Amino acid sequence: MRLRAALVAACVLTAAVAAFAQEPATRAEELARQREEKSRELTPPSPGALERALLMLENGRLFERILNPPEGFYPKIGNITAGGGFAMGPAYRKPLFGERTAFSALAIGSVKRYWLVDARLTSQDLAGGRLFADVHGRLFEYPLEDFFGLGPDSRREDDVIYGFRSSEVGAAAGVRPVPWFVVGAKLDHLTPSVGPGGSEGRSIRQVFFPSAVPGLDLQPDFLRYEFSADVNLREPMGNPRRGGQYKIAYQWFDDRDLGRYNFRRVDLDLQQYLPILRDRRVIALRAFVSTADADAGQDVPFYYQRTLGGPDDLRGFRQFRFRDKNILLLQAEYRWEIFTAVDGAIFYDAGRVAPRFEDLGFDDLESDYGIGFRFGTRNGVFLRVEGAFGSSGGKHFILRFGHVF
Amino acid sequence: MTYVVSAFRRTVAATAFVILAVAAGRGAGPRFYPDDPIQVDRDAQFDASAAKPIEGSNGYDFAENTFLNPGDRREIPAVNVNTMDEVPDSSWFTNRIGRRAMAIDEIVRGPNSMDTVAVDDWPVVRDKTSGITPGYRVTDPSGRLYQIKFDPPGNPEMASGAEVIGAAIYHALGYNVVEGYVVDIDPARIVIAPDATTVDMSGRRRPMRRSDIDRLLSRAAKLPNGKYRATASRFADGIPLGYFKYYGTRPDDPNDIHPHEHRRELRGSRVFAAWLNHDDSRGLNSLDMLEGPAGARHVRHYMFDFGSIMGSGSVFAQVPRAGNEYILEWTPALKTLVTFGLFVRPWILVDYPEVAPSVGRFESEFFDPAEWRPEYPNPAFDLMRPDDAFWAARLVAKFSDEALKAIVTKARYTDPAASDYITRTLIARRDKVLRTWLTGVNPIVEPQLSAAGVLTFENAAVNAGIATAPTGYVLTWSRFDNATDAAVGPSEEQRVTGPRADAPPAILKGSNYVSVTIQTTHAGFPGWNAPAVVYFRQGAAGWQPVGISRK
Repeated sequence: MRLRAALVAACVLTAAVAAFAQEPATRAEELARQREEKSRELTPPSPGALERALLMLENGRLFERILNPPEGFYPKIGNITAGGGFAMGPAYRKPLFGERTAFSALAIGSVKRYWLVDARLTSQDLAGGRLFADVHGRLFEYPLEDFFGLGPDSRREDDVIYGFRSSEVGAAAGVRPVPWFVVGAKLDHLTPSVGPGGSEGRSIRQVFFPSAVPGLDLQPDFLRYEFSADVNLREPMGNPRRGGQYKIAYQWFDDRDLGRYNFRRVDLDLQQYLPILRDRRVIALRAFVSTADADAGQDVPFYYQRTLGGPDDLRGFRQFRFRDKNILLLQAEYRWEIFTAVDGAIFYDAGRVAPRFEDLGFDDLESDYGIGFRFGTRNGVFLRVEGAFGSSGGKHFILRFGHVF
Repeated sequence: MTYVVSAFRRTVAATAFVILAVAAGRGAGPRFYPDDPIQVDRDAQFDASAAKPIEGSNGYDFAENTFLNPGDRREIPAVNVNTMDEVPDSSWFTNRIGRRAMAIDEIVRGPNSMDTVAVDDWPVVRDKTSGITPGYRVTDPSGRLYQIKFDPPGNPEMASGAEVIGAAIYHALGYNVVEGYVVDIDPARIVIAPDATTVDMSGRRRPMRRSDIDRLLSRAAKLPNGKYRATASRFADGIPLGYFKYYGTRPDDPNDIHPHEHRRELRGSRVFAAWLNHDDSRGLNSLDMLEGPAGARHVRHYMFDFGSIMGSGSVFAQVPRAGNEYILEWTPALKTLVTFGLFVRPWILVDYPEVAPSVGRFESEFFDPAEWRPEYPNPAFDLMRPDDAFWAARLVAKFSDEALKAIVTKARYTDPAASDYITRTLIARRDKVLRTWLTGVNPIVEPQLSAAGVLTFENAAVNAGIATAPTGYVLTWSRFDNATDAAVGPSEEQRVTGPRADAPPAILKGSNYVSVTIQTTHAGFPGWNAPAVVYFRQGAAGWQPVGISRK
């Protein structure tokens, strides 16, 4: 047994000495041994699931391909109109004539049973980008449009709904002599139709008489002529920090059937952005005035009258809360950059509607205030989250894609 | 039986004890090997043919580095330095300006093998696959591939100027950098190869058309003569393997054994990035290339894409945040949030002189090297220690005013005011870098011990002109046992007023190794009193400095 123990010890010692004999003699040898050891354990790089997923998204441009491809079918996701709810549906796009012209079409429906079919042929880049033109046609139905009555004294408790269906077929063209100035003209044939709306609320005809609501009883076809000018000096365009945008549009609605609803409208939209602290803070101001008038014996149908209320104008009020032929909207926001992709905003909205232009003024304005956050880049705001308070319409939480102005 | 067993156990136990005792002694190893300090780390020894390309995701890279703190976060010294605290040459780094005097012409030429290239009529073979700068790829008559990148319309000459200046400086510092040239491209002489392809917005690769080139040129700066200025970067030799991360090692490269976050040249590149405002210094702007013949391939690591340095943001003038704050930095963001913007980040108030569009936003007055930040956290930058920064700052100090002026001429700025301003700003930022990082440790360098026993050394901060001479040095001499890594025998202390002393003969006599601990006395830099220990080895050629450690 002693012999066995001695043998074992001798073997162990021999092995140990052999091992130590392999200790590196130089720094280079030490490093070479570490590399030799690693060479026996090589594995291919293996990105994790999240990295693989993000790689696939980035390399495959999946967002662009799915949401906004230059060509082919894709799902259209978004809103049909304010208050229409989340909508989606198939869309198609096809570049033509060397990509200077595009054909596009879509058919989308919303959770509130709003739907829209739209097709258009658009050339944005004629004459080196100085001219643009399009022909278009669309058919839509909005079954749950809110209506509270006309005028500044409309009552919240008179909330009713109506359905609105129309087609629009027309053409537009314009000149862009410089990138920041556009003059355009547009002609559309319109076929509006008002219905009782869905069963989710009281129908307009249950509360309002046709005699008090122009256009409720009969809806003629129209030709709508529009001329507009747009000076856009915002920087950057998508999420402005300085500059301004000044737009004016004149519309003429030609009643083709009844001769009762011919009217004119002028919209003036002025926006100014005052930078503070190297553009990291911005005072954003907007004034919007719309006035419509008709000759004696003519009137403006209620469904073409401008409205106030909702996430884009008087944010402390329900959608379409106020409606009339003339409106004034004043908005002011203080926006501050929290970090690169997030801005905070404190806002104040004020406005009113009036049957006559001369009744628009700075007295008796409806108003609200609020606070919010905007997520996006210099190219645009992707998402807007806001709380609006201080109005007679209660508190409102707003979750909205895109900027307010 | 009990006895026998007991004897067996005793024998084995005794053997084990002997082994452990020897192992313990051997485990520490000698402090210095005979080949220390190594000047070259031969990290191309093992065949890396099995290495596979790595694709990088911008989103993942941002998220990982912003939220996950990847890498080994131990605050340990750099692991790839030699015993003299220097970076040996490797597939990552080749000592150039730090090891030898470089002529200004050589610095300016940088990685380029030619004076210039003319890319007109070179066929476009495909689109540019990464980055936001408009561009494409062409081949020269010999088939070499080049990447063309254009300047943004609002800032002609800006990105291309930044690219060649950055390449020249990073090359002189020691990094692997691809060749890059400023070129003027005649749009009428852009030729599309028959098999050229591009990826359209739908993600499909299709034949490239002239309209693709025209669309791309619409996002590029047009010169008064109708040409477009661009950078032509020549692709490196070898097989592209994607990028390297600033932490960990490539699992498929046998030669890559040092965690990148602990590599001195990657930690120290924070200093260079701060100097040049290279806020885009991230893994995705690096390049690994597989080089060498089949069966003996190795990976070479490149720094890549300097179009976003100084005042350039590649496709626009650099944003004011760049270099001052990460894209997402919680503390200032929360302060701004809760104060409704009344808290104003100091960098917002910085005035950038309006010199020329080619300058972009670049300044030196507000610049604080220690507070400088890249776009998002970089593990190697996070782990940079004062000794890493000191190493890097010594390299920065090698760039003279004349050298920087000459480098800037490479950008061929049309406006002399742009050249002058960029040169002055680089010099001013260099001086701030030196004041910050050349003084962070006891700056003893270049120790020598003559055969006659005379010790000399230098003070890097004094040499750079950013500090006055110290009032004195305290030297503590010892014999040094290399096997046990410990001083042995009595020590002897000296106080001298200059960087020169006679070593005690009793210490030197019969010694193979001696150490001298140097503490520097300077009223302006009390931290210099921290000891720097220098080790000398007696060899055939006399005493050789073999190691230095700074506390």
